[in-house]
Amino acid sequence: MHMADALISTPVALAAGAAATTLLGIAGYKVNKQKGENSRIVPLMGVLGAFIFAAQMINFTIPGTGSSGHIIGGVLLAAFLGPWAAFLTLSSVLIIQCLVFADGGLLALGCNILNMGAMSTLVAYPLIFRPLTSHKAPGALRLMIASVLACLVGIELGACCVTLETELSGITALPTSTFLAVMTGIHLAIGLGEGLATGAILCFVLRTRPDLLATDRIRSTSSGRRSMKNVLIGFGIATIALGGGLAFFASEYPDGLEWSIQKLTGSTELAATHADSITTSLESVQKATSVMPDYDSSFSGILGALMVIILVWSITSLLTAGRRRRLSSEG
Amino acid sequence: MSKLEKAYYALQRMEMRAAACDDIVDPRANIIVSLLDLCMMLSVPMGRVSTLIWFALYPIVSSAWLGVRFGRVFLNSLYVLPVVVLIGIFNPILDHTAAFKVGGLTVSVGWLTFTSVIIRGLLAMQCILILISSCGFIGICRGLRQMHVPAFLTDQLQFVYRYISVLLLEALSMRRAREARGFGRKSFPLKLWGVMIGQLFLRAIDRSERINRAMMARGFDGTLPRFAADAEKSLLTSPSTIFYILLLGGGSVALRFMDTAALFNWVG
Repeated sequence: MHMADALISTPVALAAGAAATTLLGIAGYKVNKQKGENSRIVPLMGVLGAFIFAAQMINFTIPGTGSSGHIIGGVLLAAFLGPWAAFLTLSSVLIIQCLVFADGGLLALGCNILNMGAMSTLVAYPLIFRPLTSHKAPGALRLMIASVLACLVGIELGACCVTLETELSGITALPTSTFLAVMTGIHLAIGLGEGLATGAILCFVLRTRPDLLATDRIRSTSSGRRSMKNVLIGFGIATIALGGGLAFFASEYPDGLEWSIQKLTGSTELAATHADSITTSLESVQKATSVMPDYDSSFSGILGALMVIILVWSITSLLTAGRRRRLSSEG
Repeated sequence: MSKLEKAYYALQRMEMRAAACDDIVDPRANIIVSLLDLCMMLSVPMGRVSTLIWFALYPIVSSAWLGVRFGRVFLNSLYVLPVVVLIGIFNPILDHTAAFKVGGLTVSVGWLTFTSVIIRGLLAMQCILILISSCGFIGICRGLRQMHVPAFLTDQLQFVYRYISVLLLEALSMRRAREARGFGRKSFPLKLWGVMIGQLFLRAIDRSERINRAMMARGFDGTLPRFAADAEKSLLTSPSTIFYILLLGGGSVALRFMDTAALFNWVG
């Protein structure tokens, strides 16, 4: 479900990035409060993040299908760490996957954190898993049912978000309903596999170390008095900068002025009434530096760009060949 | 080679490559210019391939500047193709509006947007690969910390990153033990998989307890100390970093807003 950068537009990426940044800020605040009470949560989160990473590399056989799957780990992490610490841990796993293994895009990171991190740890876990397992000491069956339902809901919500983000970005010509049906259909099976796998691990831990499932023991009951003002102010500024300040660069819709002109004249541009020499000169300057029309009208631009790219690549290859030879002779 | 081994060796190779790269540009500048390039490149409207294609200059120039082999970056970026092709392939099927003609051949908007999706995917992937190959993950964390990203996030990233190799080795040894005693069976039925991953989880918990005790014994107060080398290694004001920002960052902004196709109208 990792979204690549090619699947989203900049405004959607920045909006999702702003939302993810805000959630990370809140998670940081909550986890810092927990740290004040119990500092062991820091290495625990680190090692469990690494555990999720390693566990994702071992596939299980999906019965009757001949295919295999692996866990994503949102609900599993939340069952041990609580929702906010799990969100922070899963986000860090997603960031590492993006940067180290190029799994998902850098600009799409906000979308991926929301789709895979927030939906499972902040929505499915508190709304499905916790109510189903909190009434009494949960047995293996109850744990399995809660895991399957929570994972199904978390993954399906994530799949819906992927559809929404791709459609809002205007990347695919596929109708929304068709895209949604395909995505939710595929992820129904994935969610079921994820739920069964999560349930299998939780049942094993219930048998061997049931104390670990009592997640309240690592949640702070005291009010940690650390000031998080600076962190929250920082995240607030980042949110505004990402969501509002930069988004205008990328907006393909008319801005306020263009909107007003469109309402008045039916077009986003005013027609020139007096074409004198100064206006013509300024227009030619503007033409050289302005954004191009919405679609290419000729093949020449693409061909010209390709020529320059080949030229630059040749020059840089020649320039770096000497350095590579030097390094290999040194090595 | 299993996925576990591939991931383990990929991590080792990446840090070795990052260590081999010369310290030419400050990680902060590298992160900011990469993000700027991505923002500019992905904000180009879908149908404008002639503007988008100019952004292919970024990976070529930046990889040469930072001492990363472009050929390897390009080959590694091809892994993203199946995903982007899967999403973009519906565009030429569903959108037949004519965009332009090349000789007697009419190119539809669908094919143009499909090409756009492919180029975006490859260029975005190349941008990330160059960033990580030149800085390394620890270098990126250092840059983020210097940019005042809160310590809880950078600490968490470093903790996870440092223990990934350790737990990958644990998982690898468990997998090998299972394969050696599995009488040729390599797949993991769900029940066995649950027990195996559960064991790995218990090992992870035990390890975290040991790490916590060791850290507490060394005066850990919940936050990792700042990198001691930060002050002396700052390259932000070095001429190379400043030229890098101006050329690559400024170039990305210029490519986004200039009418680049007008420069080559004589070709057609």
